[in-house]
Amino acid sequence: MSAPVIELRGIVKHYRMGDNDVPALQGIDLEVASGAFVAVKGPSGSGKSTLLNICGLLDGFDSGSYRLSGEDMGGLDEIARTLIRRRRIGFVFQSYNLVPVMTVYENVEYPLLLAGLPAAERRERVMATLEQVGLATLGERRPDHLSGGQRQRVAIARALVKSPSLVIADEPTANLDTVTANQVVALMRELGASHGATFLIATHDERMTSRCDVVRTITDGVLL
Amino acid sequence: MNTQLELLRFAWRNVLRNRRRSLATIVIAALGAAAVMISGGFALYTYDALREGAAREFGHFTVAHRDYFQRDEETPLQYGLAGYPALIAALEQDARVTRVLPRLNFSGLISNGDKSMVFMGMGADARAEGEARGVFLKLTDGALFGGMDAGAPRVLLGSALAKSLNARPGSPLTLLTTTVEGGMNAVDVEVSGIVSTGWPEVDKRLVYAPLAAVQKLLLTDKVSTLAVYLESTDQTPAALADWRAREPKPEVREFRPWWEQAFYYQSVRALYNRIFGLLGIIIAVLVFFSVANTLSMAVVERTREIGTLRALGALPGEIVAGFAREGALIGTLGALIGMAMAGLTSAILLGLDVQMPPPPGRSEGYPLKVYAEPAIYAVAAGVIIILCIVAAWSVSRKAAQRPIVEALGHV
Repeated sequence: MSAPVIELRGIVKHYRMGDNDVPALQGIDLEVASGAFVAVKGPSGSGKSTLLNICGLLDGFDSGSYRLSGEDMGGLDEIARTLIRRRRIGFVFQSYNLVPVMTVYENVEYPLLLAGLPAAERRERVMATLEQVGLATLGERRPDHLSGGQRQRVAIARALVKSPSLVIADEPTANLDTVTANQVVALMRELGASHGATFLIATHDERMTSRCDVVRTITDGVLL
Repeated sequence: MNTQLELLRFAWRNVLRNRRRSLATIVIAALGAAAVMISGGFALYTYDALREGAAREFGHFTVAHRDYFQRDEETPLQYGLAGYPALIAALEQDARVTRVLPRLNFSGLISNGDKSMVFMGMGADARAEGEARGVFLKLTDGALFGGMDAGAPRVLLGSALAKSLNARPGSPLTLLTTTVEGGMNAVDVEVSGIVSTGWPEVDKRLVYAPLAAVQKLLLTDKVSTLAVYLESTDQTPAALADWRAREPKPEVREFRPWWEQAFYYQSVRALYNRIFGLLGIIIAVLVFFSVANTLSMAVVERTREIGTLRALGALPGEIVAGFAREGALIGTLGALIGMAMAGLTSAILLGLDVQMPPPPGRSEGYPLKVYAEPAIYAVAAGVIIILCIVAAWSVSRKAAQRPIVEALGHV
């Protein structure tokens, strides 16, 4: 059996608010198997986003251990974490976070540009991924000329184009209508499977959680 | 497509993101670049004009007795040059030498019978002096003397001296001076012409008289100096070095270049260097803060985007490099427009006869010209571009280091 993609042990995280320490995560243990489609749900302020930020190496933790695909992520400096994100982690944000001056094609190409892939390979992978999300004909458009669903599909393509081992998705359907949300979830599942990516999704959207393999609930920084 | 070109294209689109703001910054960079190029071109033109004036006044280099430059003479021509015709003949063998003008400096009183004035005179071939000095010795009335009539007792007067003595061409005057033996001697002369050097203080005292007549008046066969003129001012250092090296009696004779005698040129150059240097610093500060202001607004507006790019795996240095590319584009455009503005200004001034007012101590203005000097253009453009890059680096560095979670949450 392969090692879990995510393996958290006793993760504790506090935020400092003025003179007070606010506990965000209080001893989180979590294992996510490779290729799983896992949702973390909970009310606002429960620690969902903090957990995802730590798993996505966007934020550090105060104590505990985190192994990504068996590799210890504790004690890495910012550059090392950035390079791991660059190669192995994709992100889908609630507000899509596409770069407005880039076309659809360029937004999807950007992670490959950072990875230093040759132009021909970049083109091949971008076109294939755009094809998979059904936006191959809209490659030259700018994000502000797309609908919300199309934008989220571009964001999914951008997250998956480098075939990451892990995709972190923070409320990916929150800004979408039901039909579009269902399409986006289906697309994420389908592409996740084809790219061999593991999804960790923060959501409180029932349309989303109902389609996940595993749903964990977090309340007051404690994973139930 | 080449990765760097692609990144440059993104930078260009970011520059165009807020066109009005970017345009204002580019215009400031362009005006800054043009101001540096124009003021630098004007300073160079002025240096060239002063250099040429000084070289034509003193000769490209001057030959004199070593003590002539270092000590005051107790009697006229105490440190004069004897046997100078042989030296002139030797100098004229040098293909670079176009003319050698012997000069004898003397002073005394000049009188019209009713009024006497102190004069500072020079025994010389006035026609050759006029040819050598060109526009820097202007004949305002009468004629120059020289050649066959070089020995006739005629004088050229500075315009202000002529006015004081109420003298015109043909007026009879008397020169009174001290001979090399310390006695007094006088000669009656006729005014041949009136000249102006452009220096009122000089024109109040100036007298040119034929060399032979002055030697006869001072009872000497020496001269004070030999002014050596070359084909080009640029040849001076090499020619000077050659003649210094071949001088058999360096303890007696000295070869001194024009720049060691041109104190006005040196002072103006030092003054202009300070003025234009300060102007350049002020312009650089203005451009820096303008670009920094524009890009700091862009950085704040794009904080969330910076967070996204960081999340996707961009290193802080790559984020900063993106802004630096934007700065470089703004600077390059500003520099190119500035070059066009400066070049156009130079071309317009070349066609128009715009006169500058007379500088302090002078009676005549000079044409306003601006050199389009490639070296100045290159340096100014380079400095503007570097300033823009540094400004972009300084404002984006902190944002690129900001925690990603914080940047992603920026509203």
